[in-house]
Amino acid sequence: MIELRGISKTYAKSAVKAVEDLSLTVKDGEIFGFLGPNGAGKTTTIKMLTGVLRPDSGSASVDGIDIAADPLEAKRRIGYVTDNPELFARLKAAEYLNFVGDVYGVDSGTRRARVAEYAGLFGIRDALGGSIGSFSHGMKQKLIVTASLLPDPQNWVLDEPMVGLDPKAAFALKEVMRTRASAGKTVFFSTHVMEVAERLCDRLAIISKGRIVFVGTLAELKSSRGADGSLESLFLELVDDGEGAGA
Amino acid sequence: MKAFLSLARLYLQSFYNLPAKKAPGARRDPKAVLKTVGIAALVVFVLGEFGFIFVMLNLGMYEGLAAAGMQGMLILNAVVIATMMTLVVGFMTALSTYYVNDMELQLLSMPIAPRAMFGAKFLSVYASEALFSLFFMGIAMAIFGVKEGPGPLFYLWGVAAALLLPLPPLAAAYIVQIPLMSVARFLKNKRVIVTLGGVLGLVFALGFNVYYQRMMVKLGDPAALAAMVGGADSMVARIGSAYPPAAFAWRAMSEPASGRAVLSMLGLIGSCVALPALALLLLSGAYVRSLVGFNEAHVKKLTRAGADAFIARRIRAGSPFAGLVAREINMMNREPMYLLNGPFVVVLMPAIIGVMLAVQKDAFLSDPDMAGVLAMLGSGQGAAIAGLVGAFMGTSTSIACTALSRDAKALPFIKSLPVSPRAYMLAKLCHALVFAAFGVVVGVGLMAFVLRLGVVDALAAAAAALALSILLNLAALWLDTANPRLSWDNPIAAMKQNPNSVIAILGCMGLLVGAGFLVFKFSMGTGELALWFGALPFAASAALLGPYLRFAERRVSALEP
Repeated sequence: MIELRGISKTYAKSAVKAVEDLSLTVKDGEIFGFLGPNGAGKTTTIKMLTGVLRPDSGSASVDGIDIAADPLEAKRRIGYVTDNPELFARLKAAEYLNFVGDVYGVDSGTRRARVAEYAGLFGIRDALGGSIGSFSHGMKQKLIVTASLLPDPQNWVLDEPMVGLDPKAAFALKEVMRTRASAGKTVFFSTHVMEVAERLCDRLAIISKGRIVFVGTLAELKSSRGADGSLESLFLELVDDGEGAGA
Repeated sequence: MKAFLSLARLYLQSFYNLPAKKAPGARRDPKAVLKTVGIAALVVFVLGEFGFIFVMLNLGMYEGLAAAGMQGMLILNAVVIATMMTLVVGFMTALSTYYVNDMELQLLSMPIAPRAMFGAKFLSVYASEALFSLFFMGIAMAIFGVKEGPGPLFYLWGVAAALLLPLPPLAAAYIVQIPLMSVARFLKNKRVIVTLGGVLGLVFALGFNVYYQRMMVKLGDPAALAAMVGGADSMVARIGSAYPPAAFAWRAMSEPASGRAVLSMLGLIGSCVALPALALLLLSGAYVRSLVGFNEAHVKKLTRAGADAFIARRIRAGSPFAGLVAREINMMNREPMYLLNGPFVVVLMPAIIGVMLAVQKDAFLSDPDMAGVLAMLGSGQGAAIAGLVGAFMGTSTSIACTALSRDAKALPFIKSLPVSPRAYMLAKLCHALVFAAFGVVVGVGLMAFVLRLGVVDALAAAAAALALSILLNLAALWLDTANPRLSWDNPIAAMKQNPNSVIAILGCMGLLVGAGFLVFKFSMGTGELALWFGALPFAASAALLGPYLRFAERRVSALEP
């Protein structure tokens, strides 16, 4: 379970709040979509949730563990897929997977089984001996997704995971999301792709200018707006409203 | 023309890390101002250092040449040196900037004429070569000017020559490199050319060191120095007569007020502009074509059975801390720029010292001042020398003082992992100490061999070197933890343009010189050396480690990359 309570963040060189008084709860067994336009505060929120950034106020916890109070224990329960796959270009894929496995304390047998499973699923099994620097954007993304699943985390946090993935890998990723949620694990992901959010999410939140403008199911969103349009049209309406209010 | 100018400005900013134009009304950041002042001071220091060397060389040369009535050769020497230097440095700069980064691929997709692309690149590399040339020529011109009072035209021709002379060597560099890049596929890789450029740089540094040491030996003997330059068979005389731009420049500056000078300057302009113009005319298209497919990566693929075997063999659990240390070592040693300017220094430095000793050995040993030093070495202080050299080698790798800066891009991801900042920074310290130990073995081992130290002296020296290295590396890591350079586009910036590496190396040199002074002042023997420079720094490191790790915990947690 993921809980964000009243978190706010202003970057050092900016007068504008990137995230303001944001509260969310993502329950176990739920696929939760985090939607918002560019610069709305999605990545900042995810970075605060994963311990990369410190909130100015408020708190973030996973499975009831406050990430500020006990960061290592909280982080052990998170598998994080960053929005920037340009990592460790000088390492080989297998070295990267071993590094992540070591840090999360995954034993050799489990590690081999999971690498074989997920690397096979995402089509990078034959490239495990290659240098990450030689990988395409999509291959790097697949590697990061595979690494994030090595510790079989209770909470899977993905920042724009579909970017750069081919249709087959994107399908596989959605399947893994569903499987994990069915097994009672939490899936929290940000996306720009409305169709993905519409088909996949149990609940979703829409953020605009650092503030949550909606949290709930798609059905609740439709009924609250009194409209029967697509998520895309509802999203655009909400974001326009948010920007109007913020202006 | 507009595309050419915009591109040249872009390249200049990118190559030389020039600051972007300030927005109107923007406040000056005191830290940025301090940094600019620091960098300016460093540039002045380095230029002053080299300037001093060349002033002394030119003065010695002038005296020797003037005695034979050949003082005009001083100018020819400067012309030849400027030409040679810009040929070597220009070749390396052209190579290292041939493909700046993937920005070049984007430029290829834009409607920019090949001549504008090549011209902008040429101009941007030329800028640094022109400054080099002005530096070498300027010193010789100043000395000749003060001694001979040649009149304003001498300076005018001199500055013009300094600006023109780098053009043919740079064009020659591209005339070699463009066809090479067009046919040799393996060269079209940024890592390969950075490695190649680095190796060429090292060879050049060693070559320059040989030249410098040979000149320094002759500094006290102006006649010998002048003979090296002014002899009919000297390299300077041969290049001066065979290479038209050098001959034109020398003639123009020898009789600056004559009509012959004007003709020579016209000849100089013609001979210097011809080659770049030809390169621009004939090679621009080939240059642009050679950029296509640059840095293309090919993933090594395994067969299905091979992948199974690979997973069984290579995917295995290890200690998290060992994983962190291994990551540090791999990330540094596999980046050519980091390897060549970091751990490789442990190999390079002894090579430079070896060249120095080989060239200067006789002069070094016959110097009357050395008699006292040699006597001290014989009386047991050789261990101190070996210890201090070992400590310097153990600290010269710049691993610790750039540890966090180099990791700037990975920091957000690292912070998301269940890794404590303590373990993360401790792994960085371990990485630095692995190479510090290597440096200590190389430094102390070589000095022990040269000074013929006994086993006890060598061990005491190694203990002192190791203890000092641990302390200095810890201090350097503390410096980079407190003030890391986290914002950069090119990995070079994290190391070579990082003030921490300069502060660390200068601080280390200052401390070791101070330690050396104390050793000789108090005539410390082997036991005292081991106590004061072994036990004491070791105890200090042990005492500082806890506070450092607590600081690192707070600092890394607070960093927002």
